[in-house]
Amino acid sequence: MAIRRPAASHIAPILVILAALGLGGWLVIHAPAADRLSVALVAAQPSTKPTGSASGPPSPRNANYSIDVRLDAGRRTLTGREVLTWRNISSSTTTELQFHLYYNAWKNTRSTWMRERLLARGPELNDQPKDAWGWIEVTAIRLLGAGDAPAIDLTEQAQYISPDDGNPDDQTVLAVPLPQPVVPGDTVNLEIEWTSRIPQPFSRTGAIDEYFFIAQWFPKIGVLEDTGWNCHQFHEATEFYADYGVYDARITVPSGWTVGATGVERDIRDNGDGTATHQYYQEDVHDFAWTTSPDLLNLREAFTHPEFPDVAIRLLLQPEHATQSARYFDATRSALKYYGEWFGVYPYDHITIVDPAWQSRSGGMEYPTLFTGGTRWLAPDDVSTPEGVTVHEAGHQFWYGVVGNNEFEHAWLDEGLNTFATARVLAESFEPRFRSVRFFGGFVPWVLRDVPWSRTVDGNRVTGYRRDARQDQQSTPTFRYWPGTDASITYAKTALWLHTLERHLGWSTLKRGMAAFYDQWRFAHPKPNDFFRMISAASEQDLSWFFDQVHGDASTFDYGIDQLTSRPLSRRGFFGSAGAGFSDGFDDQTFETTVVVRRYGDGTFPVDVLTEFEDGSTRREQWDGVGQWKEFRYEHDAKGTRAVVDPDRVLLLDTNVTNNGQTLTPMAGRAAIKWTLTWMVWLQDVLLTYGFFL
Amino acid sequence: MHALLDGIRRVGRAPTLVLGVYVITLLTTAPLGIILHEAIATDLSGSVAAETAAAGVNWEWWEEFQSRATGVARTFSPRILGFAAVLHNQSSFVDNQFPRGEVMLSLVAYLGFWMFLVGGIIDRLARQRRVASAGFFATCGTFFFRFCRLGVLAGAAYWIMFGTIHPWLFEDLYGLATENLAVERTAFLIRLALYATFALLLLPINMVFDYAKIRAVVEDRRSMVGAVLAAIRFVRRRSQATLGLYALNAGLFLAVLAAYALLAPSPASGGSSMWVGFAVGQAYVAARLSTKLVFYASQTAYFQSQLAHADYVATPAAVWPDSPATEAVGTIS
Repeated sequence: MAIRRPAASHIAPILVILAALGLGGWLVIHAPAADRLSVALVAAQPSTKPTGSASGPPSPRNANYSIDVRLDAGRRTLTGREVLTWRNISSSTTTELQFHLYYNAWKNTRSTWMRERLLARGPELNDQPKDAWGWIEVTAIRLLGAGDAPAIDLTEQAQYISPDDGNPDDQTVLAVPLPQPVVPGDTVNLEIEWTSRIPQPFSRTGAIDEYFFIAQWFPKIGVLEDTGWNCHQFHEATEFYADYGVYDARITVPSGWTVGATGVERDIRDNGDGTATHQYYQEDVHDFAWTTSPDLLNLREAFTHPEFPDVAIRLLLQPEHATQSARYFDATRSALKYYGEWFGVYPYDHITIVDPAWQSRSGGMEYPTLFTGGTRWLAPDDVSTPEGVTVHEAGHQFWYGVVGNNEFEHAWLDEGLNTFATARVLAESFEPRFRSVRFFGGFVPWVLRDVPWSRTVDGNRVTGYRRDARQDQQSTPTFRYWPGTDASITYAKTALWLHTLERHLGWSTLKRGMAAFYDQWRFAHPKPNDFFRMISAASEQDLSWFFDQVHGDASTFDYGIDQLTSRPLSRRGFFGSAGAGFSDGFDDQTFETTVVVRRYGDGTFPVDVLTEFEDGSTRREQWDGVGQWKEFRYEHDAKGTRAVVDPDRVLLLDTNVTNNGQTLTPMAGRAAIKWTLTWMVWLQDVLLTYGFFL
Repeated sequence: MHALLDGIRRVGRAPTLVLGVYVITLLTTAPLGIILHEAIATDLSGSVAAETAAAGVNWEWWEEFQSRATGVARTFSPRILGFAAVLHNQSSFVDNQFPRGEVMLSLVAYLGFWMFLVGGIIDRLARQRRVASAGFFATCGTFFFRFCRLGVLAGAAYWIMFGTIHPWLFEDLYGLATENLAVERTAFLIRLALYATFALLLLPINMVFDYAKIRAVVEDRRSMVGAVLAAIRFVRRRSQATLGLYALNAGLFLAVLAAYALLAPSPASGGSSMWVGFAVGQAYVAARLSTKLVFYASQTAYFQSQLAHADYVATPAAVWPDSPATEAVGTIS
């Protein structure tokens, strides 16, 4: 099974690093004193990218799994055995291993995940029936010796730990002490046996009817970094983080059921007992998910591009969505095309789309070389479902899959970049699209053809950002965000500041920076400063003033026109010396136009101010946006008619766009009448509808 | 069908009724319209966003306005556009979602107006001749308190339907039926079946209370319990015809909705096109009101054709009181 190596040699990223360090040094020397600290910190951060060899596999492959698992569809249980080959690629020695046991998040209401979900959304989950809950139980852990050496049973020593919140009831992290420390470079082999119960879906994984989507299902080793284990408990607001490796999985399911999984199917064996075993294999990935059902339609098409290798696309489709296959394929092709052209080539030769079953809660999620989409039985052509979710999840193959950030701590580094890129693809490929609403239990869609889908509003999810902008700094580890606000800060805020950067720096500059980041951090684990460094280098500017605000702070931005006046130029008073030259009139040939721009938010950003005059002329000024207000005054023979701050809408983080511009003659009355009349028809219909009772 | 056509004719010959209920509908919505107008005008103020908001849909401003809106302004969402407004309200009704806040107050006032007027409306439709406004309102007054009592009975019945039956159907039963369902289409069909079931329970209740009102007016009944029982007897003995007439009226209602679905205006720019759009909306409102009056008229016509000869109205001839001046002259000996 082929993995294509990146076309660029490893010299190119090294040169980029050197250039960035050089630029950082120059900036340290030339930046204002107050800024030097943050720039210096950025420049001095050690690269966390492990040095790789010039040849060999693209990823470190230090967490390799050989898994055998059997699904009991009737009991909804998994029985599994894995052999984990793990190599310590950090600089620290460890005396234990830490594993994620994600399914225990849904074992009971006392888990950290459940507590956080209850905090965010209320007590609805308390009413789940017995069958709904899930769990995973490790039944045996053995440290395998070399050759014929006996295995050492570690089962009794394993214990649950709660490194994030000390919750004694949380069992999503298992620590396994080792008889001997593992020094950097050493490898250990473990055999782990487990059983688990598949939950009725709470989030992302589970079973409904005969549809099974199995994710985060096996004991998964955490990431050992130079500073120690990075193995967080499972939190409601976060996703996952793991090292790259090779997955070789043999999945036993009822005969005749379709299986889709990370990787490529290498073998199917009928076991003669009503089950069949499907073998899937994939190199250089950091997760493995699979699905099975007897009902899935199995469709195949291809992605081709004049500059990229072909990608085989497999679509596992719900029968009731059979008419929507083309939409899934087209959206996936668009993602592969544009992400590839903008950021870098997709490194695998296959990808699998899973159309999730209704109520499975497994939709809209990404796994290496496999993702779940999501659509509805009635999905009008001119709305962005399923295209939006498909582009987004296919895009995650790049941000998260190939560039493997820590989603527990820096979820924005994949979700935000991907939300930004998704909106860009939708605008490039799928406009016009319109907003829609759903009625009658949410089943019947109605397209609002007067309200086009907007990249700036809908694509960037500005509503959530505006609501939650001050809840947390983005630099707060994601798992510590206030529950329920993570999407706003992770997805929306990042998309908005990236889109702002796109308009501020230009798309080619931002694209260059993002492509360099993709190239530099393929199959590795970047941190936020790694991204900031790349963008700053591409722009050849110190952008720390920007990143400190949008990432390091919960600042909000709001610029507005505070005043706009335009009057005949007053010429009253003495205009000569010693009491001479008194004038008591106005120069009605000349108008004095005054524009006051005010900064209402705490964030600062350079903005333009555009003033227009009756004769069609304009004046455009730049303001650094730092002070609380700025006045612009013009003497002109035409009246000023309107003034707009940020006329090109560069600062998309501005939380109040309505105050960005003023007209001398208010136009609100006409708009208010129009919309009031429109709304009154709705209200009259309300009265008529509920007048049914009389 | 004959009763339906008769009902349409009766309404056609009572344009003042249509005009009157339309004015009531318009006046009931006006206060909240003024509030919303002020909210939008204040929010837009001198903003340049007003230009595009007046010319079409300024979604960027609208989305911001929604985030700042309070009170009745919170209902100003894209769901009010064109036929989406009708779907939204029908969907909310069948899904047991009632208006809140100021809109609910407006609805209560509206239902109060109707409760006052419906006696006079049925009387006028039953008489099939013009009545003076004094007579009309006197009849309204006569039956208002009776219909308040009837409203208690109707309220109890609807409370059971929407407070107990609907949740049992759409939360308990629907939840049970779809708990392990992985196919959306099936779930939708189940929901449709539940809508039909609920309608089969609700619509006869509505019909019974319609005939209770009709019998109360035509037969000048004072006991509303008696009127309800009489209505039940009437419907039970003519179930096919009464249900058929109800279905025909429902068909007329759906035809009005379908016509509006085709003709519902887009948010127009300002100027005359804005008023044209509003006029289309008001024509729809008038058509809805007319179908409601046709409901009453056709059911009244059917009742009269069954239990009395045509034009029969059981109330004694109205004797309008003399004016005070006439009375004073009359006492002069």
